[in-house]
Amino acid sequence: MRRCIFLFLGILTLLTVGLVADEFKFPIKADSVRFAAIGDMGTGEPPQYEVAQQMLKARQTFPFDFVIMLGDNIYGGSNPADFEQKFAVPYKPLLDAGVKFYASLGNHDNTNERFYHPFNMNGDSYYTYKKGNVRFFVLNSNYMDPKQLAWLETQLRDAGNGGWKICYFHHPLYSSGQFHGPSLDLRKLLEPLFIKYGVDVVFSGHDHVYERIRPQQGIYYFMEGASGELRPGNLAHTAITEKGFDSDRSFVLSEIAGDEMYFQTISRTGETVDSGVIHRTIR
Amino acid sequence: MRAERRVPCRGLALLVALALAAAYQLAGQDAVPTPAPAPAPTAAATTAQSDNAAAFKEFTVRVEDYLTLHKAIEKKLPAMKNKEELPEMIAAHQQALARMIREARPHARSGDIFTPAARGAFRHVIRGVFPDPQAAAHATSRQRDRAKEVRLRVNGIYPDAVAETTFPPTLLQKLPTLPDELAYRIVGRDLILVDTKANLVVDLVHEALP
Repeated sequence: MRRCIFLFLGILTLLTVGLVADEFKFPIKADSVRFAAIGDMGTGEPPQYEVAQQMLKARQTFPFDFVIMLGDNIYGGSNPADFEQKFAVPYKPLLDAGVKFYASLGNHDNTNERFYHPFNMNGDSYYTYKKGNVRFFVLNSNYMDPKQLAWLETQLRDAGNGGWKICYFHHPLYSSGQFHGPSLDLRKLLEPLFIKYGVDVVFSGHDHVYERIRPQQGIYYFMEGASGELRPGNLAHTAITEKGFDSDRSFVLSEIAGDEMYFQTISRTGETVDSGVIHRTIR
Repeated sequence: MRAERRVPCRGLALLVALALAAAYQLAGQDAVPTPAPAPAPTAAATTAQSDNAAAFKEFTVRVEDYLTLHKAIEKKLPAMKNKEELPEMIAAHQQALARMIREARPHARSGDIFTPAARGAFRHVIRGVFPDPQAAAHATSRQRDRAKEVRLRVNGIYPDAVAETTFPPTLLQKLPTLPDELAYRIVGRDLILVDTKANLVVDLVHEALP
């Protein structure tokens, strides 16, 4: 009986901690879309630099082309020194290697970050771009006015159903983070559009933990708010939590090949804390 | 012996599975509340809506006037529609724009754009969304905390290092839409109108929130 309990708990632990995931491998297909996701990173503190080092290390085996930034890119001010210390220096090796960064704005960001060339926002606080068969929609969740909502609806409608639709912005529609939790007001406005126009995946930050949410209305949600900041032990692990990690910083790697999206979440120390494959279903 | 061992093991697994299933059923994510059906508008409510519309129209005219001034001043500066913007250039543009706008409206004061009628309309709409202090506090708690650290005045810099830029989205749907150069902010219980490119406080309504 005791052996049985140990065996059962052992299997449960393996599944929970994600050791199985260490064996995860990306297919690295020729025409695939490969990117990293980071959120709440702009502290300028050593952990941000350590995550950046892990990203560089990961790129040796998984050559991602660009990085999506989920907001709170530059904490505590927007002086030239802040941009250097909290972005240009930590990610210099990636920038030098030609990796592009596409930023969204968080609640701690100065809106004029949209003019900072390396953020590739082209002066807009919300924008869209396409990579391969993936259309990215970058929103400004700080300020979801009717103008932005109308723009989003037009863009989602015009994108059709031919490829992946990925939205990213700072405030999470679903979160088990205990400090902020979900942005319910924002969910009321955005979720109907996401469902109507077949958004596949949503990335956000804000709560300083990592969480992958069980699909909600057919949409996959990732929250990566711990690529610089961290609130240890702040994840509640609720019924919507598919996987969570709140004991260290992390970032997400992703490859989209055809109708499959492969993902792997890596900690500051290089441990794989989550991984898997999402299959796109046309809705 | 083996059969005797398997039975409790299977039973344990079943119990755990049932417990997990029950937990998933019970612990749910906060559901989006279903709005109650709206009551038919009364004569007083219709009058208030009409008054608000007139006040918002007046506000919008003042905003347009400000925007004309902003654009005229910005034309004198190197264009910011980014290509190779460095942080130094962004900061210099922001500071120069703020300085020149201040110089162009040296006597600007609270009420220039949020006219008395507009203030009433904003307060009315805000109280419709946040009927009591608790509701307002819940939606703007971070901004309220920060208010202790921030002293805002017309023509002063909006301190982005300490102040939040998030605005409650439900409320935003009910207010006049602003041009890209301007945005609403909440600090404490005050409603702020900010020039986002100059990071300048253009006007404010004290105690706009309950």
